[in-house]
Amino acid sequence: MGVIDIMDAKGTSSLGNPNPNILTPHPSKSSVAIRFLRVLSLVRHTASSSPSSRACRIRRAACSCMAYSAGPRRAWSRALLRKLVRRRRKPPRRDLPRPAAIIRRRRPVGGDRLEVALRRVVPGGAGMEYCRLLEEAADYVKCLVMQVRLMQSIVDFESHVHSVNKRSEIDPGDRN
Amino acid sequence: MSGMEKERFFVGNWQLADAGLPLGVNSSSGADQLPNSFVNLGWEHAMRQNSHAHIESALSSLVSSPSFNAPAGNDSVVIRELIGRLGSICNSGDASPSSRYHSPRASYYSTPLNSPPKLNISGADHQQQGMLVNPTADAQFELFAESAASKLGFAEAGKLSRVSSSQSLAAPSGKEVTVSDAVMEMPKFGRGRVSKWPPPEASSASGKLPAVVAENNGRKRKAAPKGKGKASPSSSLAMDPPPKEGNPDSKRRKQAEASAADRSPTVSKPKTEQNSSDDGQKPTENDNANPPEPPKDYIHVRARRGQATDGHSLAERVRREKISERMKLLQDLVPGCNKVTGKAVMLDEIINYIQSLQRQVEFLSMKLATLNPQLEFNMVCLLPKDMHQADVPLPQQVFPLDTATSPFSFAQQSLKIAETNRFNTHAAKNQLDSSIQLPPIVGLTDATNYLGNSDKDDLWYVIQTGFARSQEAPFSPQTLRAE
Repeated sequence: MGVIDIMDAKGTSSLGNPNPNILTPHPSKSSVAIRFLRVLSLVRHTASSSPSSRACRIRRAACSCMAYSAGPRRAWSRALLRKLVRRRRKPPRRDLPRPAAIIRRRRPVGGDRLEVALRRVVPGGAGMEYCRLLEEAADYVKCLVMQVRLMQSIVDFESHVHSVNKRSEIDPGDRN
Repeated sequence: MSGMEKERFFVGNWQLADAGLPLGVNSSSGADQLPNSFVNLGWEHAMRQNSHAHIESALSSLVSSPSFNAPAGNDSVVIRELIGRLGSICNSGDASPSSRYHSPRASYYSTPLNSPPKLNISGADHQQQGMLVNPTADAQFELFAESAASKLGFAEAGKLSRVSSSQSLAAPSGKEVTVSDAVMEMPKFGRGRVSKWPPPEASSASGKLPAVVAENNGRKRKAAPKGKGKASPSSSLAMDPPPKEGNPDSKRRKQAEASAADRSPTVSKPKTEQNSSDDGQKPTENDNANPPEPPKDYIHVRARRGQATDGHSLAERVRREKISERMKLLQDLVPGCNKVTGKAVMLDEIINYIQSLQRQVEFLSMKLATLNPQLEFNMVCLLPKDMHQADVPLPQQVFPLDTATSPFSFAQQSLKIAETNRFNTHAAKNQLDSSIQLPPIVGLTDATNYLGNSDKDDLWYVIQTGFARSQEAPFSPQTLRAE
């Protein structure tokens, strides 16, 4: 699926969120929605019919949408995209800039059980300082919430449409 | 001039200086009619150095002297005097103007306000006096005076005097650096204070002066570690040992958020007091999210009361405060974390929440995957309808697809639908939770089905380009032909 490649190429250009604050206000839900809907439409006509693989793709697509809307400035979005790209076993068309976390001023110590768990949960959390980790976690949570809400609304709508279609199937000629 | 001599000057001035009286009355320096022997002292030191030096010493002296016995009520007057003196020092190269300006200024200051001072007042005052005002320096002085004045009336005069004396005694080499630091810091300091002047709490006011002074002290110490020794011997009062003072001061003052709102300003520890009161006064300023970044790359930190003041502890404290700030943010994000106290439990909650969100995404994606085929199937027959919908006059981009083959025409239709799609989603972005116009999307999917399932990348690219640029039309035929 070249979605991620394309998005890789175009994601940053469409993103304009230069927010230096700790919690950057995300671009409006619309950008994520549009992107996700596109990806969804693309995935839907995928050849693979097994729902699990499609679900996998959809999930990956959702994550990539999230990551792209978050922007390359967030470490977790970069890490997430890297992970997704690697999973597809295709070389990324464009090398994402190496995150600043590579410059490790402080070696992350795995002493605290909770901290380690947080690092595991947040994508890209392994190489970050604790402060940064908390920052990224907050941003990641915001993105996740937005994504979940978006997907939930899509599902709700589709189920509604599905029921409407079912009704309309009875009368093929009658449609709206 | 010896230190003891200067000390005598200070002492004399304290005893004589009243809030309402011009400080210069007590000046015993014979060289000029300086109202302020502090100023004079500063002159003697600073004449050989750049103008900043004597400004700084004068500032400190001015600040310290009135604070000694200035009751709260006369703050404004004293402050005006300070400002006036600062301006005079700044602008005039000799001491005489200060005396000249002193008495008229005193009368001038008495009239206006205990209301928050307008810097313009001082500025206007200066101009009225015909002084050549260097605007930046003047502003700096005013800010500094304002901030200094905000602490008036509460500090331990003795300690302050000691500090100021040590400041004036400070080595010349250190002066320039520290003065510039002080001056540079003061605007930052004062900027936050302008709106809050006069200081709401006395404690914070009292803390600030010694804070500023001691900070200058510490900075000087950092720059020229020779003069500090004098500070301790000169000060017989219960001041903290200078090395202890110097180290925390050597770190720049940071607008610590969580720090010492709960500290009680006591007299015994001027350093800690200044820290606590300073922090106590600055919580609102800190809420400015540290906008006035220090000119250097330091992080300004304040040593808290009763805590270690060496460099490592300070860095750790800064880090801890950052962490706590982030944790607060997380707490707001995660629902149900407000009641939880303690970092560990909150972290646990956050981790659980993130995991639950991820699981939710996975579940929803699975649901979408299972839901789609049915919709697709149902939507095939609705495709014409969707295409009609797509023909709604929207700002669509016409793709000049030359090929007339059905797949391509379908692609064209689907592209149009996609365009409509985009338009619809854009329109519906504010009502995402409400119905989204998905049928066009599904129509697109079905249309693309006819194109075959190969090369979704290209199709996606087509769609993307269709959305992004209208100039990309040439791409679409090629990509479609590739299929």
